[in-house]
Amino acid sequence: MLINTIIIFLQSALPMFIVIALLLLCLTENLESSKRIVTIKKIVALNILVIILVLLLNYFMEEISQLFDGKGTEFVFSAGFILIYLCCALVFLLGNKHLYSRAQKSLSLVILLLVLTLNSSNFMLYLTSYWTQSLTGEYSGVESLFVGIILAVGICISAAILLFFFLRYCDASLHKKTSNYFLLFFALAQLMQSIVLLQQVDVLPLSYSLWNSSNFITESSEIGQLLRVLIGYETTPSLMQLIVYICAFIIPVYLSTNRSFVRFTSGEAL
Amino acid sequence: MIDKLLKGFLNAYTLTVLINLLCLFSLTAEAKRPEFHLALKNHLFYPAKITIPRNKKVKLVILNHDHSVEEFDSFDLNREKVLFPKQEAIIFIGPLPEGEYQFFGEYHPNSARGKVIVVDTQIPKKELDDETALKEGEQHVN
Repeated sequence: MLINTIIIFLQSALPMFIVIALLLLCLTENLESSKRIVTIKKIVALNILVIILVLLLNYFMEEISQLFDGKGTEFVFSAGFILIYLCCALVFLLGNKHLYSRAQKSLSLVILLLVLTLNSSNFMLYLTSYWTQSLTGEYSGVESLFVGIILAVGICISAAILLFFFLRYCDASLHKKTSNYFLLFFALAQLMQSIVLLQQVDVLPLSYSLWNSSNFITESSEIGQLLRVLIGYETTPSLMQLIVYICAFIIPVYLSTNRSFVRFTSGEAL
Repeated sequence: MIDKLLKGFLNAYTLTVLINLLCLFSLTAEAKRPEFHLALKNHLFYPAKITIPRNKKVKLVILNHDHSVEEFDSFDLNREKVLFPKQEAIIFIGPLPEGEYQFFGEYHPNSARGKVIVVDTQIPKKELDDETALKEGEQHVN
């Protein structure tokens, strides 16, 4: 029970903590340091909105899952993941452009809202399942549930803080856009999740796996889980996943290095 | 002026990505796939072993008989699906090479375990009726 709670909480919460660290880095790097990134008021409003959305999603999840011939959950979640990718790609493209600081802040709030809602709803289902079984007397020991959550929160905070300082160091000494690239990789990881979901319900074509890297790093391992969140690591990727991954990486990177686009976003006349 | 142009460009970018995705969706017509059934009872999968043919896409229908939510999870198959109480869930797997692919219930990983066995045959082992499946399900995979 304890180990299971830690694993499930980590799977749900790690992306949330990672994206918070990445957005903090990108925004502090991209915007003027003297300006406050977000106000307390906005954070409170965001949290209230997330709680409402998670409760609503959890309440209607069963009905949603039966929509579109049993493909409802996959459609809703994949749409959310695609939206996260698009918003992250825009934040990446607008990097270092003070002209669009408001747009970047708004996009970051949308990313946070989506990541928090989609990932929290997974853990809420586990809590609901636990609650149902404790009512029927199948489960007891709420302590292990709380201890598991506390331990997992500790691991997530530690991972996010380590990533934050590592990327801040990289931004300062290696490449000033390292954190922006990590945000793009995080976005690709989200996009990969949507591809898997759509393949799972046969909306996107199922195909053979190109390779199997489970001998090196298994997806169920700690490193595998972290890489899955950070860069969208898959042990058995399909051709479609690889093509989408490469295209979704190349397009924003090409645009961000394209001279006309850079001049365009800098507010210079064409 | 530039703001408007940028807005237009970003809209075009979003639209292109969405159109590409829609094109990808349209590529797949939902064809008839061989169907396999799996049941979840008292946090155990019945049957615990399913045999499917090699290099075939198959439809897996999972019925949750329990009163609680479960999540079908498999790292080997790269699949994750929430199973609501007394509801049927459908996922598609394959085409897969020969081998064994583990799956488990994420909320009860110690009891709810099973595996998909992919064999080199065009005609998979006939699906088990409920009683045989229940008996076979007792030999659980660890």
